[in-house]
Amino acid sequence: MRVQFRILTCAIFFALPLFSQEETADTAAVSIEEQLEQQRLHNESVNEILLDMKSYIDLARKLKFSGYMQTQYQSSNGLGNTAFPIGNFAGGAFPTSNVGSRFQVRRGRFKVQYENDLTFSQYVMQFDITQNGLGIKDAYINIKDPWVKSWNMRMGVFDRPFGFEVAYSSNFRETPERSRMSQTLFPGERELGAMIEFAPEVGDWTNYNLKLGVFNGVLPTANENDNSKDIIGRAGFIVPFEETNAAFDAGVSVYRGSVRNTSKFIHTFNADQKQFIVDSAVTNVGLTYDRNYFGIDAQIIFDVPHLGGASVRGEYNFGSQPGAAGTNTFYNPSAANTPLYQREFYGFYVSLLQNIGTKHQLVLRYDVLDPNTEIEGSEIGAAGKSTTIGDIAFSTIGAGYIYHLDDNVKFVFYYEMVKNETVAQSVASTSTLAPYKSDVKDDVFTFRIQYRFPF
Amino acid sequence: MKRFIATLLLFTFTPSLFAADVITVKGSDTMVILAQRWAELYMKKNPNVTIQVTGGGSGTGISALINGTTDICNASRPMKPGEKQKLKHRFSSLGVEIKTAKDGIALYVHEKNPVKELTVQQIKDIYTGKITNWKQVGGSDARIILYSRENNSGTYVYFKENVLDDEDYAPSCQNMPGTAALVNAVSKDPNGIGYGGAAYAKGIRDVAVKADEGAPAMMPTAENVKSGQYPITRFLYMYVKSKPTGAMKEYIDWILSEEGQSIVTKVGYFPLR
Repeated sequence: MRVQFRILTCAIFFALPLFSQEETADTAAVSIEEQLEQQRLHNESVNEILLDMKSYIDLARKLKFSGYMQTQYQSSNGLGNTAFPIGNFAGGAFPTSNVGSRFQVRRGRFKVQYENDLTFSQYVMQFDITQNGLGIKDAYINIKDPWVKSWNMRMGVFDRPFGFEVAYSSNFRETPERSRMSQTLFPGERELGAMIEFAPEVGDWTNYNLKLGVFNGVLPTANENDNSKDIIGRAGFIVPFEETNAAFDAGVSVYRGSVRNTSKFIHTFNADQKQFIVDSAVTNVGLTYDRNYFGIDAQIIFDVPHLGGASVRGEYNFGSQPGAAGTNTFYNPSAANTPLYQREFYGFYVSLLQNIGTKHQLVLRYDVLDPNTEIEGSEIGAAGKSTTIGDIAFSTIGAGYIYHLDDNVKFVFYYEMVKNETVAQSVASTSTLAPYKSDVKDDVFTFRIQYRFPF
Repeated sequence: MKRFIATLLLFTFTPSLFAADVITVKGSDTMVILAQRWAELYMKKNPNVTIQVTGGGSGTGISALINGTTDICNASRPMKPGEKQKLKHRFSSLGVEIKTAKDGIALYVHEKNPVKELTVQQIKDIYTGKITNWKQVGGSDARIILYSRENNSGTYVYFKENVLDDEDYAPSCQNMPGTAALVNAVSKDPNGIGYGGAAYAKGIRDVAVKADEGAPAMMPTAENVKSGQYPITRFLYMYVKSKPTGAMKEYIDWILSEEGQSIVTKVGYFPLR
């Protein structure tokens, strides 16, 4: 009995840990299953969070913010005064209180863009914020055709589709400002209207493009004041030479429009008499006058070994421009009682750009605008001919250097020498034309810093 | 004025005189392994040259080329006209395209997936959401889980333009940040399907692809890709801003040499010749 008891005691003694181990194993198994279940639930909750986050990421992909700011210091070899403007085409006239240098926030752009790639639609709004306040630059809706994806339809405020320079972003442009010709014909560059664009991304037509639009023709932020619309278009092509990394890019542009006159005084130039003929019939108010431009633009890009890409770019425009007395710029029909001066003009620019590595660029530009091709400088100002400052031709030679610090920042050093036609020496000293009896001092040096985000 | 010009010249040329032979390469994730192997071997043979390779996707690489933060862009698709236009604006160049290798875009499925072959049309229908169940293409009755790349990927763009005929991916498609992540997802998902470079097909199975119903099913093997018999074949590109010179030219010439092209094969892609 004692032996049996001892055996039983020993059996229990040794068996207990066995039972205990089995129980531990069961517990462990349950614990792993629980852990797996917990992990599964955790994964599912993470997935839910990720799916929720994905909707925000998708939204962030569609919504794009970009912008650039251009701050600058400018100095002129003359002083701003009331007799003639300095810097009119270099970022706005210098103050007339004998000021020859200034700081400016020339452009402060902020662009918001939303793209829905399922419906191929795009919302674009661009603001310009400078020391002068807030302005709207772009405000348009763009819809791409969902079938062949080669056609765009755009409506709102956007760049006029004429030539090369007008639509070439200030963000990329190597010179601080557009040529005098482009600024005169297309102030603000933009206009209210609608446009179709043919710009295929794939296929045999990728080297061709066409833009054709209908616009109010009253400047970008003014209300339409008549029923006549302006038609603007450009057809272009590019011939790439892949072997040599060169290309020839060219286009022809047309502007067919009219302006509603706000005054009874219509001045048309008589080329034989070298003078403006004034028509002052009361019925002239509200009549429309032609604004017709024609233009060609061309660009050659090529590699310069050991330096980098180079380009030679040029644009030539001519046509008929309704302007005002003192300027041949775009006639503003929203200003009342402005006598209209109809002039034939031509203008061009040629620029040479050389990249040196990835950080340096040298640029040279020569531009000319003759606002009245039917009269020579020496004939301007003759008594009784009604000619004005708005008839004087200007040429500008500009040279500059651009240093790209990184993909956000660039420094621009640019010097432009402006030369005007000299008017008749018989002009009275009290005349507004008097300063133009010789070349006025209006050369401008610009030092600019640009910051853009993202690229 | 003279002082102004002298300052310009000083600013312009001084940094160029002290430029070191550092070549930056950025772009296609598909090509990143290949680019790293090229760089490692080349630097071993040319210790005076430093080559920095990063991925990020073809779109990212092309953007870097346009903004001047990379010397060479790797891309698994050709540059688009809009991208060339941007490069033209910034550098007066349309970019120099260099074909460096060939690649077959493989279709990956889970190892246990019974589907062995698909036609190009079926692949298109799967990725555009017209076919949603494996049963419709001879597999088991299970929903097809689509894996794709992000839209900055050259493979994404190439697949969309050449396989989906520019139709949109199905909304249910899950976009993965890189090919490795995509392969990893498919390897863990019995109902998943993904696509990418043939070099990445580890732990998963390639599906044979038929150009059409009557065509033979082809695997993305070296012979089939090189001969063009595999239906989804593309070039892998390098883009530079200008005609390469100096150290960059020597590096690109080496990549196109027999030695450089032998690396292509080792990594799992296909040489040009």
